[in-house]
Amino acid sequence: MGTYPPKLEAIINLFESLPEVERRETLVSYADNAKKQEPRPGEKFTLEDIRKDEECADTVGVYLQVDDEGKAHFRMTLGPEVQTLTRAMTAILCKGLDGRTPQEILDLPSDFVTRIVGSELVRVRSQTIYYVLSRIKGICKVYLDRQRLAESQVA
Amino acid sequence: MSTTSTEYAHPEALVDADWLEKHLTDDGVRIVESNEDILLYDTGHIPGAVHIDWRTDLQDAVIRDYISPDKFAELCSRNGITPDTTCIFYGDKANWWACYALWAFRLFGHEKVKILNGGRDKWKAEGRPMTREIPKYPATNYPVPARRFDKEIRAFADEALAQSKAGKPLIDVRSPGEFKGEITHMPEYPQEGVLRGGHIPGAKSVPWKTATNEDSTFKSAPELAKIYLEGCGLRPGTDTVVYCRIGERSSHTWFVLTYLLGLDNVRNYDGSWTEWGNKVGAPIERG
Repeated sequence: MGTYPPKLEAIINLFESLPEVERRETLVSYADNAKKQEPRPGEKFTLEDIRKDEECADTVGVYLQVDDEGKAHFRMTLGPEVQTLTRAMTAILCKGLDGRTPQEILDLPSDFVTRIVGSELVRVRSQTIYYVLSRIKGICKVYLDRQRLAESQVA
Repeated sequence: MSTTSTEYAHPEALVDADWLEKHLTDDGVRIVESNEDILLYDTGHIPGAVHIDWRTDLQDAVIRDYISPDKFAELCSRNGITPDTTCIFYGDKANWWACYALWAFRLFGHEKVKILNGGRDKWKAEGRPMTREIPKYPATNYPVPARRFDKEIRAFADEALAQSKAGKPLIDVRSPGEFKGEITHMPEYPQEGVLRGGHIPGAKSVPWKTATNEDSTFKSAPELAKIYLEGCGLRPGTDTVVYCRIGERSSHTWFVLTYLLGLDNVRNYDGSWTEWGNKVGAPIERG
């Protein structure tokens, strides 16, 4: 079990304190809020990654903005077929990882996902609970690789 | 009870959304939602519908098998279902899991079962009522079924093998890529641990979706007859085995063959490709 960003730690602690019924209700509540993570008019992004993978039922877009202090902020778009749990994880991770550096996000262990979702909902055909985290880590890795390449070219 | 087509062999096995919306609170009817998306029911469902989960409610928690008859009786009792209750199943994915749940109910001898034609997606697309309110029904005392009807509507691996060797009808309802052995999982789905790709020797490829229209409703009886009777040579009285990867898509085809075309002796090989594709020595054809 690793150390998590404070915002994410608070969400993990919340979910672990909930009985199963309330855990499900809270996940649905987060899923309802997934649409609020979409890019807003006029927002500019450092990187955008919009694609449809085999691991997910529909197209998912990840938009990364790295601010002047090197902190990451995310927006996401989800196609209509994306499952409820994936929607919930979208809202949770956009909130929980906001303001961390891309390297911190890349280093984050994934064991917290099951602590949020709970063992009842982790099963066959729910591997997609890790999908959003893998996409967020993926865009962070691309960002860092490009940064390193740019730095090596300058040097 | 209103139906969508009288051409089907058992038109009473289907209800349409118009009929259901007018009969949401009928005595003797229980609407049952069963989905692939495990939280979808929680986001809203047809008023009065109960949720039956294919994994936690219908399958044994340890062994790869279905629940025992006493667990089935408990499941029905806590959802206010009696042997006389007409269960109307619906769900996501064009009713895959609704058909799976219906088939599982039939495994325990529950005869009064129907499907909402078009399933959850059509109901929602038409702007029909949805709620997040979880209904509560007085518990019943559903008698423990004397047995499971595995022999009648379920096939096991050795029976699928015998079917293959005898040259009797085997219908593979997976996607063409899975049938050919090019992939071992559904397009757009994660790999679920199958070691070999291909199909059971002699099986014919008829993807489940062949039986549906764009709005997830079932095709007409003449269209279905053309696909399965003319196209595959299926006949009443002939043993037919259907399979997919874990038995849910083949439940959909099982429903079509059994209720809409009226074929008897149709069995669902629910072990399907996740068993066959991992089974040591199981014969496989590719291409």
